[in-house]
Amino acid sequence: MRVTWIVYRKELQEILRDRRTLLAIGLAALATPLVLFVISQVSTKTATQTYTVGYSGDIPTGLDILLRAASLRFVPVPDPAAAAKSEVDLGVAFLPGEIDEYYDPSRQGAQIADVRLQTVLGQYQAAQAAAALQSRGIDPGILTPLKFVSHPLSSPVQAASNAFLSFFLPYILITMILTGGFSAALDSSAGERERRTLEGLLLTPAARSNVLLGKIAAITTISLVAAVAAIGSMFVALSQIETPGAGPSANHITLSPAVVPVMVWLALLIAVSFSAVTLALGTLAKSFRQGQAYVTPLYFITILPASLVLFVPDFNPSLAYYLIPILNAVLVLRDAIVHDSVGWAPLLVTTASLLATGALSWFAALRLFTREALLTRS
Amino acid sequence: MNRAAVAVDRLEKTLGPNKVLRGISFEAQAGEIFGLLGPNGAGKTTTLRIICTLLSPDAGTVEVQGFGTRTAPEEVRRRIGVVTADIGVYPRLSARENIEYFGRLCGLESAELDRKVDSVVERLDMGSFVKQRAESLSSGQKQKVAIARAIVHDPEVLMFDEPTSNLDVLASKEVREFMVEVKGRGKCVIFSTHVMHDAERLCDRLTIIHQGLVVASGPTDEVRGDRRDLEDAFLALVEAK
Repeated sequence: MRVTWIVYRKELQEILRDRRTLLAIGLAALATPLVLFVISQVSTKTATQTYTVGYSGDIPTGLDILLRAASLRFVPVPDPAAAAKSEVDLGVAFLPGEIDEYYDPSRQGAQIADVRLQTVLGQYQAAQAAAALQSRGIDPGILTPLKFVSHPLSSPVQAASNAFLSFFLPYILITMILTGGFSAALDSSAGERERRTLEGLLLTPAARSNVLLGKIAAITTISLVAAVAAIGSMFVALSQIETPGAGPSANHITLSPAVVPVMVWLALLIAVSFSAVTLALGTLAKSFRQGQAYVTPLYFITILPASLVLFVPDFNPSLAYYLIPILNAVLVLRDAIVHDSVGWAPLLVTTASLLATGALSWFAALRLFTREALLTRS
Repeated sequence: MNRAAVAVDRLEKTLGPNKVLRGISFEAQAGEIFGLLGPNGAGKTTTLRIICTLLSPDAGTVEVQGFGTRTAPEEVRRRIGVVTADIGVYPRLSARENIEYFGRLCGLESAELDRKVDSVVERLDMGSFVKQRAESLSSGQKQKVAIARAIVHDPEVLMFDEPTSNLDVLASKEVREFMVEVKGRGKCVIFSTHVMHDAERLCDRLTIIHQGLVVASGPTDEVRGDRRDLEDAFLALVEAK
């Protein structure tokens, strides 16, 4: 353990003097709040934006007031179908007893305007029907024989926040752990060969397994620092971004305290695994540049599981899925964030899987580190 | 009979498709500079790498102060220091930090480490740049750092593999003087080079390797024989093969 500690201290000392690594961590801490701010601004703009509807014919009395209230601006056009292609977000032809709508589903503005128009028309028609019944002395309640009352079991705003976090937090965590330790891992493996320090290191009486452990520990530390910096800045940013909510407590995205220990544990496991994997890949490379070519695909492979959770939000996997490294961490984090609880079985399987990945990668790195080709090829 | 500091016996090694060593044998004693001579590609560096346990031989044995490279590699590494032409130093560490790192990995701690680092810094006259980061040092200064880290644990055997090939005249002279000084302190110095002039001046005994075979071995005067200088003798031996 003495050798491991010596190597760990020296690697950290070098990493902290390396501008590339410090820049990566600094950018991670700055980029996350910036991205969140942009997302928040775009969402707010989309929600409050006024969309333009090109129309022909006569707008029924009273409907125009409702449409304006829904931020739909009506402009007269000779041909609503032609106008809907590019001039306006939606085209509407008011005909006797009929309303024809024209829109391009590939345009996001058209989709939003369509939803708003249909909502307003539904309300307008219900109000017209109720008024007609009332004028004939009939109770308008017959239009709604079943009374519908919604009772959400948790705050819908909090649920929306959790859904956002369940994608964004694992994504940030995994990305930052990988990119934070990326440069350090390559510098510590391929870099040793490139600057010809590897031979000197292998000439010492230190056991190579202990040397590797020291390197992995240092890379893990710096990966975790990068992840903590990114997630810390993310929560600072989220605390400043307001979300539309009913009460004062629902106005900011918050994280359940139960998630924190799970996140820390998973971050540690992922960081150890990634450090071992990147170190093994870096050991294969003769130079830093070649190492970059080897490690970069790893980034895309690891981002896929986070994307899966984004595109299949209700993905309900069996326990076997928790054997797949990274996907398992994303799933456990998602469960913790969305449901405020973690099952012991998925957590244990995930832990075993990530530990096994780290151990296998460490073993591979050790095998590569003790190969004669490591020296003769360079 | 005194035990040899380094005993190499019928060493064979193949790297890729090339049979690099074909039965190399020699012994180097404490208190001498032993030359390992040969043209580029003769097998000198491979021999040194096997002695310091970086490579393992296909056949034959190597012992360093009685410890076999196969059976006790860590004990062997504890007893040797290696200086090569590739001056690999950690650029973001200072010269002193570079030396201390290798000292610690060789088992030195606290007061003893400080004392030994101070000692090599003084011996190699590194005081003016020892606190500077290695990335800002000249080639000669880096070579001194490489020598310092190789000797900080005071090994009994020192191996120099073409140590002056990237250095200017003054820096080369300092390295040569250092080798003589180390020999004077009773250490075994193995000097691998293709510069015959250096070998003739420095080596007490030497072995000439060509195409993985020993073509001559013995005291420098004997190997030179009645030729004008060692270079003539070397060329005659190599061409005869």
